[in-house]
Amino acid sequence: MSIDVLAAGILAGGLYALIGLGISLVFGVLGLMNLAHGELVIGGAYLASLLVVDSGWDPLLALPLAMAGVALIAYPLQRYLLTPLLRGDKSAPLVATFGLSLLAQALFQGGFGTHPKSLPAPYATSGVSVLGLRIQTIYLIAFGLTVLLCAATHLVLTRTRAGSAVRAASADPATAAVLGINVPTVYAMTFTGAAVLAAAGGVLTGVAQSFTPTSGMPLLLTGMAVMALAGIGSVAGVLLAGVALGVLQSVSVQLFGGGMRDVVVYLAFFLVLAVRPQGLFRKAAG
Amino acid sequence: MKTPTVPRGTPKALWPAVALATVTIAAFTLAPALSLGQLDLSVTLLTYLTIAQAWNVLAGFSGQISLGAAAFMATGGYTTALILIHTGLPWPAALVGAGIGAGLLALLLAVPLLRLRGDYFAVGTLAVAVALQALLSNWNWAGGASGLTLPTERIPSGGNLYQIAVLVAALAMALTLYVRHSAFGLRLAAVRDNEPAAAGLGVSVYRHRLAALVPTSALTGLAGAVIAFQFVVISPDGVASVNWSLNAVLMAVVGGAGTVLGPVVGVGVVYYGLTRALQDQQTLSLVIEGALLIAIVRFAPQGAWPLICRAVRVPIARRRKPTPGADTVPDAIPRTPEHV
Repeated sequence: MSIDVLAAGILAGGLYALIGLGISLVFGVLGLMNLAHGELVIGGAYLASLLVVDSGWDPLLALPLAMAGVALIAYPLQRYLLTPLLRGDKSAPLVATFGLSLLAQALFQGGFGTHPKSLPAPYATSGVSVLGLRIQTIYLIAFGLTVLLCAATHLVLTRTRAGSAVRAASADPATAAVLGINVPTVYAMTFTGAAVLAAAGGVLTGVAQSFTPTSGMPLLLTGMAVMALAGIGSVAGVLLAGVALGVLQSVSVQLFGGGMRDVVVYLAFFLVLAVRPQGLFRKAAG
Repeated sequence: MKTPTVPRGTPKALWPAVALATVTIAAFTLAPALSLGQLDLSVTLLTYLTIAQAWNVLAGFSGQISLGAAAFMATGGYTTALILIHTGLPWPAALVGAGIGAGLLALLLAVPLLRLRGDYFAVGTLAVAVALQALLSNWNWAGGASGLTLPTERIPSGGNLYQIAVLVAALAMALTLYVRHSAFGLRLAAVRDNEPAAAGLGVSVYRHRLAALVPTSALTGLAGAVIAFQFVVISPDGVASVNWSLNAVLMAVVGGAGTVLGPVVGVGVVYYGLTRALQDQQTLSLVIEGALLIAIVRFAPQGAWPLICRAVRVPIARRRKPTPGADTVPDAIPRTPEHV
């Protein structure tokens, strides 16, 4: 086992953390299991591909625009479709996001075709040497951005008034509302934040590897596995869990071949659920 | 609004059972009168009915939202194919094997899955479906990504296949009727509606959830065998596609989860309204299916069948008491004027 494999796993794990963070945020605050999160990720990649593939932009320049574009879709989605559903039947929001996921997949298929796409960039395939290790530049960029976004999320949640509102709404929405916090707006903002993180993850994923309309599902499940591993409420935990999964995946690809890369993650997911179901999904105090 | 569940053995359960038996026998004996095209269409509809009804028992009556129908379809289909290809056993053995295989998988998966509640259960079952599809794509003994071809001379087709599909669907309907009218079903509903209260009254939550999961999975496995017979060629993208999970959920939810006849209505509406009407436009069909799922849970969460029932019974209901508004269940989210 070479150290390259570990490094690649750690860096790829950063992307999983980014996706898992969004899922964990939405679930922790809204109690909503968003099955369409993978499509938010891939949606970010497709939005960026409009600028990158068709107009020749650099993916990193397209990144903020893709994030903004996904945010514009995500806010009304949560505010006017999903939040009203949260008050009704327990299964309704879940089924609705399942419908959204398939709807988005079909739209990607119709709009962009089923051929694999990727976001070309000079740093997509080039490598740099770090401490004697040769590393794909994009993974290094992605990991740096991930850490930055995770830190930003953590700071917003813990150091700002908006973050306090989010944590209050998460802990007790009824009391938060009594104290003057507009819970539906907080919910929509939280969902939008998660979607923005997803879009960033999508653009970076799109540079590192190709994607198709159905690429969202494995990413969603990987993100779920990250959340299961990390538990709710700790941004650093999510980052660690993502890296752990990335390393696990990278090592198993080395051992069993590329076909098993997702299977291993699902098996780990199940193992965690079987061993520590309540503990890992526990809602930690904000 | 809901009629109380009647204990087992009362005449209320008798008439639906008689009706089911009559319809089954009629459908069974109808086989020679149908054209090949009609037989094929019927097999498709009956298979959809089976998986929608299995989902209905698991999710509608037992409260376990599953997105894993594809996993059990795949298990059934692949078990059938592997038995027929690698042993000299006849197709009935393969069909039974499909049911047992899917049931065993459910029993095995129950260890992690039944520790999960609500949304986690749904995600767990989705992970099972996607993981199995990935495994099958990489498993060369099972044909890898290109799948397996069943020996055509040893599988039922035409009228025989139709009759099998009738029996499998009848089994699914019978299970639903049993759950709807039995004391077992009442305990299942208790677990669904209030787990601590059910446990407090002495209902074993784990055993009841398991008793719902295993037979419904076995039924879905039987449906997988029927699909394998019908398709002849099975592949990870066909019989293991998450679209089966979508269709099971969609048809049951559109028709009305938690009712006996809802999925029957749902299969008709979804198949004729969407799948068949838009069969040349797969993408558009999928867009509308996704949108329909969202629209139903948003605007008519009870589904079409209860709405039809209520529409027909309007005069009687009004004589008794005013129609109640939406169920007012207190929940975590405050009702501020902001809410639409």
